[in-house]
Amino acid sequence: MPDDTATEATTAAATIAVAPEHHQRNEVLAFAIGVAGWLVPGLGHALQKMWGRALACFLTVGVLVFLGVAMRGNLFSSEGGDAFGMLGYVADLGTGSFYFAARALETQGSDVAHAEGDYGTRFLAAAGVLNLLAALHAYEAARGRKA
Amino acid sequence: MIAPTDFHLSHFQAMTFFALLISIAFGFLSRRRTNDRLKYIIWSLFLFLLIGVGIGWAMYPFSR
Repeated sequence: MPDDTATEATTAAATIAVAPEHHQRNEVLAFAIGVAGWLVPGLGHALQKMWGRALACFLTVGVLVFLGVAMRGNLFSSEGGDAFGMLGYVADLGTGSFYFAARALETQGSDVAHAEGDYGTRFLAAAGVLNLLAALHAYEAARGRKA
Repeated sequence: MIAPTDFHLSHFQAMTFFALLISIAFGFLSRRRTNDRLKYIIWSLFLFLLIGVGIGWAMYPFSR
């Protein structure tokens, strides 16, 4: 029947036209979820109702940052100078908003002359890298990848 | 907000805390079912500690 064929062809054409737009919207949403996960650890998963993962990310990153500051680890700033300082800053900034919370909590400054301070520096950097990994995981999950 | 005070941990305590927290995060991110997560966390924690202590022992002759 010519009418049905025409309708099918129109529907197929509409699907082809709409699909890229829908795909682009999903990509933007996934990216926003990834950024949210970076800004607030666990938020990217919470927005997708992955409560266990959200809580685990929030608590592990939070405890690592808190312990890092309590052990007087070095929290790098943008005025690090050398490449390692900049790398440390990027790692620390990976904790998102927790970086600024750590800055506010770190009233005594760092003390890397002792082993605790050195460990604290590693805790802070590990928290940042872990949060970046979690944000990437949330982004991939939002894109529909198996997670 | 509670301001953290000076917090003292031994080398082993710091390593254990670190290993535990990272293992929990990895377990939750990489596994879906509770049982699988638990197994992954325990196994990862065990390997973290084993390899950490192993590297410590391997470095002992060069420590002084």
